[in-house]
Amino acid sequence: MKKFLALLLSMILVLSLTACGGGGGEDSKPADESKPADTQPPADSGSEPAEGKTVKVGLICIGDENDQGYTYNFIRGKEAATEALAAKGITVEWVTKWNIGEDSGCEDANIELADEGCDLIINNSFGFEPFMLKVAPDYPEIEFIACTNQASWGDSLDNTHNAFANIYEGRYLAGIVAGMKLQQMIDDGEISADQAVIGYVGAFSFAEVISGFTSYFLGARSVCPSVTMKVQFVGSWSDATEEANAASALADMGCVMISQHSDNTTPATTAQSKGVFHTGYNNDMISVAPEASLIGTRINWAPYFEYAIESVANGESFDQDWCHGMDMDAVVMTDLNEAIAAPGTAEKLAEVEDKLRTGDLQVFDTSTFTIEGKALESAFALDTDGDFTPDSEEAVFDGAFHESYFQSAPYFALSIDGIEWLNSAF
Amino acid sequence: MNHEKKIPLIRLAKRDGMEGWKVWCIRCGSILFALLLGALVMGLAGANPVTAYGTMISGALGKKSAIRQTVKIAVPLLGCALAIAPCFKMRFWNIGAEGQITAGAIAASYFALFWANRLPSPVLLLVMGLAGALAGGLWALIPAFFKAKWNTNETLFTLMMNYIIIGVVRWLQGGPWEGRKGSQIIPQFDEAACLPRVLGVHCGWIIVLVLVVFMHIYMNHTKHGYEIAVIGDSINTARYAGMNVGRVMMRTMFLSGAISGIVGFIVASGANNTLYDGVAGGVGFTSITVAWLSQLNAFAMVGISGLLAVLSKGAETLQTRMAVPTSISDIITGILLFCMLGCEFFINYKLIFRGAGRKEARHG
Repeated sequence: MKKFLALLLSMILVLSLTACGGGGGEDSKPADESKPADTQPPADSGSEPAEGKTVKVGLICIGDENDQGYTYNFIRGKEAATEALAAKGITVEWVTKWNIGEDSGCEDANIELADEGCDLIINNSFGFEPFMLKVAPDYPEIEFIACTNQASWGDSLDNTHNAFANIYEGRYLAGIVAGMKLQQMIDDGEISADQAVIGYVGAFSFAEVISGFTSYFLGARSVCPSVTMKVQFVGSWSDATEEANAASALADMGCVMISQHSDNTTPATTAQSKGVFHTGYNNDMISVAPEASLIGTRINWAPYFEYAIESVANGESFDQDWCHGMDMDAVVMTDLNEAIAAPGTAEKLAEVEDKLRTGDLQVFDTSTFTIEGKALESAFALDTDGDFTPDSEEAVFDGAFHESYFQSAPYFALSIDGIEWLNSAF
Repeated sequence: MNHEKKIPLIRLAKRDGMEGWKVWCIRCGSILFALLLGALVMGLAGANPVTAYGTMISGALGKKSAIRQTVKIAVPLLGCALAIAPCFKMRFWNIGAEGQITAGAIAASYFALFWANRLPSPVLLLVMGLAGALAGGLWALIPAFFKAKWNTNETLFTLMMNYIIIGVVRWLQGGPWEGRKGSQIIPQFDEAACLPRVLGVHCGWIIVLVLVVFMHIYMNHTKHGYEIAVIGDSINTARYAGMNVGRVMMRTMFLSGAISGIVGFIVASGANNTLYDGVAGGVGFTSITVAWLSQLNAFAMVGISGLLAVLSKGAETLQTRMAVPTSISDIITGILLFCMLGCEFFINYKLIFRGAGRKEARHG
């Protein structure tokens, strides 16, 4: 009984302690909540000129920066944009939500960030958009962005935005690097002309992926006319093992060049172990596969973030559907692996990049590809009735298919001659 | 000396009939202990524990919109805990609620996707709910049938069933029900197929509260509930009393699966407005903790599921405001649950230390 009394006493002690603790918590609450109300807290503008502005930006991520791929690329953009804006006297206060699922949890994350007083909320994954759209009407004073998706041009809301980059330009350039390497191998007698086969590890037969590998193939064929390509879909955006298996199977089928639209570096390491070459996506993969990886390309989100945040800071409206490429450095190439690339690659890259910037060269030039033996004369860009089949806006004009022209999200989903789809189940 | 060595340092003895107030003291003490341990973890993660706990509570309950989200998290936890309670009472270890939720969600989604323009909204919702209950019930009936007929291991069986049905959703997502080609996303439901909101939250909360009352009556005041309790205590006694154990098992599992299926319908129609492979999202497992902590008492489940929802929503706010990773909050939730479940041990058993035992003996 005495022991029990002692136990009870110690509990009362602990209870009183936490009771005090609870009080402390309440004290700090008003301070937290008052923060969003002042959009110009004096503490933050200490290092800036007096007229410095602060924007509170929420970023909702499907993964975290440890993925070294998709989300990491957003974080790089976030950091670069913060730096660039600081130089303009704009302080960005970021609130980042990691590992959010494409379900009602995303709706909650949007509500939470809105309640925290964010002026701008960025959703980084395609599947976030429907949930963001449930929240956006309740907060008309907050701007919402759904990266890579496409509803903003059609919804009746003024505060929703979409953004993407002309990543097909980067793919085309990576294709040129690959094609020059293949042509070098043909010229040196290492492979015959018909052995110039590219293997492509794709996530799903999704327009973004199809557009990417088609532009890559067209880039390669522009410098290596005999090239062909096999595409293997893995059925996941990120599955290191499946991606490696697909790369391995492609190499066994005789592919001497591997590229990918998936999140991991395993296709690069597999290519190296199989003694074939590789070009990457999202990240520089030379460090993991120095003998195989030639170059990579990635979206640079910094210019868009800078543009959107600066607009919000100045109280201006900004594009509801934004898409730029090399012209604004929204697409960048990672370092060229000079040790293994074909001679003259860097010069060729500079030359083509210039043409892309000025618009002299169209990636989807309809004179460079055929579909079932015929030139492409007509293809629609937009789906206006919600049945997921494009039915509006002619994308083919002036001798080219205009990708990401009517909306930022890619819509080239055609199967061209020379590319073999090994499995279109996904 | 020799004799003394044989006595272990600590011995356990069963005890029963502890006074009610002592039991509650131990329970509260364990929660406090868990909060202190959690404070230590937060301290190590570089956050002020006092502010952190305050943030969690204000984040979960401080605003109308926050309370709504907390309720939304609690609804499936409560519903699913109610579903598995009769099985656990029967000592039938149904850990397949995850799959039963998913099965219910699939059936409800079928009507949401293909019947939305053919039925008026209330009828459609009713059909979706019934279809969900039927599908969840049938999915649960399979392992119960095998258990009743051939005494298969229900733990493994129900667990494996989860993976099968989640695989089915993945197939639907990428195949026949896919919206935009290659997106792996099933389109959002028509407005008619979404549960209406009451007080800002989808009305699933009303459905589960009705189920609370139903389950309380069913377990405590019906013949079915009595049979379940007898089987849970001793299958042989039940047989001796002339109960058809196999039939009761199948009936109870069907009911359990049906309620899980209704939860699946609520989540798909009310919260997500679509179907995807994570529709159950671990609720089927977390609700086992809810049911167990509530000692299978339907009313206690309301409180426990609310507590878990507060922790879960609070964790999100903690990450938003203080940049504490949600994994830290998960650790704290884990500690709390562990202590709360663990304290039942001290209520049911007493520790006898070597020295104390001798003293007691001398007294005796």
